Amino acid sequence: MTNVLPETAAGPPPPFDPELGAALAVIGEQMPPALTADMIQPMREGALLADLTDDDLARAGAFTVTRRQVPGPAGDPDVELLILTPTGATTPLPAIYHTHGGGMVVGNNRTGVEVVQDWAAEVPSVIVSVEYRLAPEHPHPAPVEDCYAGLVWTAEHAAELGIDPERIVIAGASAGGGLAAGVALMARDRGGPALLGQMLLCPMIDDRNDTVSAIQMAGRGVWDRTANDTGWTALLGEARGGADVSPYAAPARATDLSGLPPAFVDVGSAETFRDEDVAYASAIWRSGGQAELHVWPGGFHGFDMMVPQAAVSQDARAARVRWLSRLMGM
Amino acid sequence: MKDLAVRLAALDPDAGAALHVIAYFDRLAEARAGLHTIVRGAAVLSGCAARLVDDERRVRIRVEPDGASTPSGVRDKDWISAAAGSATLWLERSGPPGPVDAMVLERAAAAARAVLERTRGHAAQADPALVELVIDAGAAEPLRLQAAARLGFNPDDPVRVVALGSGAVRLLPEPGGLPEGRAGVGPAGPVVRLPASYEGAVLALRFTAEGTESDPGPRVVHADELGGLALLAAAVGPGTEPVPDQRALDRAAATAPWVLATLDAVARSASLRAAATALRVHHSTLQDRLAHTLPVLGWDVRDPQGRLRLHLALALRRLHNNQR
Repeated sequence: MTNVLPETAAGPPPPFDPELGAALAVIGEQMPPALTADMIQPMREGALLADLTDDDLARAGAFTVTRRQVPGPAGDPDVELLILTPTGATTPLPAIYHTHGGGMVVGNNRTGVEVVQDWAAEVPSVIVSVEYRLAPEHPHPAPVEDCYAGLVWTAEHAAELGIDPERIVIAGASAGGGLAAGVALMARDRGGPALLGQMLLCPMIDDRNDTVSAIQMAGRGVWDRTANDTGWTALLGEARGGADVSPYAAPARATDLSGLPPAFVDVGSAETFRDEDVAYASAIWRSGGQAELHVWPGGFHGFDMMVPQAAVSQDARAARVRWLSRLMGM
Repeated sequence: MKDLAVRLAALDPDAGAALHVIAYFDRLAEARAGLHTIVRGAAVLSGCAARLVDDERRVRIRVEPDGASTPSGVRDKDWISAAAGSATLWLERSGPPGPVDAMVLERAAAAARAVLERTRGHAAQADPALVELVIDAGAAEPLRLQAAARLGFNPDDPVRVVALGSGAVRLLPEPGGLPEGRAGVGPAGPVVRLPASYEGAVLALRFTAEGTESDPGPRVVHADELGGLALLAAAVGPGTEPVPDQRALDRAAATAPWVLATLDAVARSASLRAAATALRVHHSTLQDRLAHTLPVLGWDVRDPQGRLRLHLALALRRLHNNQR
């Protein structure tokens, strides 16, 4: 959905939730809202995205940690899957196939996986987190094709992984949410693995970067319009915002959202992605699909991960687990 | 990315971290955040559980450093705390304080105090008319329940009446800390039983003493613990003649300033040795004192029957001094 309002028509930005705003005052210094291309490499090397160790991932024996190199897209390198299996499972479990965030330009298959582990602690599931190639060195379609290839392998090897192939949910946050939505579209169009659901957390799905919320939140919060421009330009180059952008890269470009698995979409009201995410849920409904949409008041991008203690973050996290357990029939 | 306490700990506690703490609570105050949010901020920034308790206003909030609200358990005297008006804010840290603990306590307590004054400034407890109504056995039950609700009590909340030496009456949610000073404490029960708790509290107050040399005895008495002594209260009115044992007690008291305190200690201690310890005198000194007192008193307080007579005489003396 293209926003037709001129920039001046946007009102003032919605206020941050008081608790989140106060935390942002602490976080803000280390996380500028704007990210430019020259900051990509320092961010990749920075301590902000410090990796979880295998010990962290094992959570005192609650998960078995394995890594598999599996075939990538035809003619491309293998992709690495990080597989976290709850210990002691005796029957096939549901799977959460995770596509990490990081604006398409940073992060690895451990980024944000602790959030997914929290879900799996309540809804026992095997976690498969895919390492995809990053932009700008590897522009579209490398990231989304890597993610798709990893999903295909996972579904084909479900038995070996202790996964119930009927219950695979794809999930990702931010750029990972965009990739999850793109992979769901690919799976539909290519007759690929049947997904039980798609969990799109504050997903990055619209390269046009011109919604009211993108305009309102410029220079504020986390991942503002400038940062978004940096991410999309890295992924799409000159094509960004133009007429020929694939819906697999920017799912907001999809004109047909029928035939998709049920979606969970959440986003903060005080972030760049608010309007594109609300529009995506609406488009799913318009196509006759199922979506659960949460717009958390005063939430900035990734609020629940950066300030998990806040009341609104606790509610957001609880809503996801409830959706998962309903979806998985637990 | 997630641990604010770790982030703060990594900063210079004298400058950087302190500024962040100040900024955090200033933002909460500007946005008129509530008490839970403030207590959660204290827990999150300090990295240890925080609790805010205001017995009068019936506020009881405890938050873990992960943001979860949990019920309050027993307090530890080693925790650091700060006053927030009539409330107290604790950081549940027994070991050495973290680098920002003092600043977190100060700013969070100030923020909590502002919220308490804004939202509960006219503490319902302060409205004596409502308190009078809930303890009035003559008032209709629906009226009493309504008044209790306005004071913040649900019908099934266990509540006690506390009658203070000053003549004031307080309602005390169970469990709760007693107010300062001489107090008679009524039994805990549901709101409809408050008139009975008030009766008990007033009765118990008559058994209290100043706790001084001239008026030794307990400053706080619970009606629950009076047992059969409660019956004595009805027997002692303003015009009641003192019984001979009470007169003997008064005579003994006139012979030396330590007599009443000594006899009270003997009555209340498990043994003469314990009484001597309580009085901070040598065991032999206590024996000498009792030898001095015995002829004036006319009975020996060291045998069981004598101790009972002493108990009763002391109680009767307090009942005479403390008329309704």
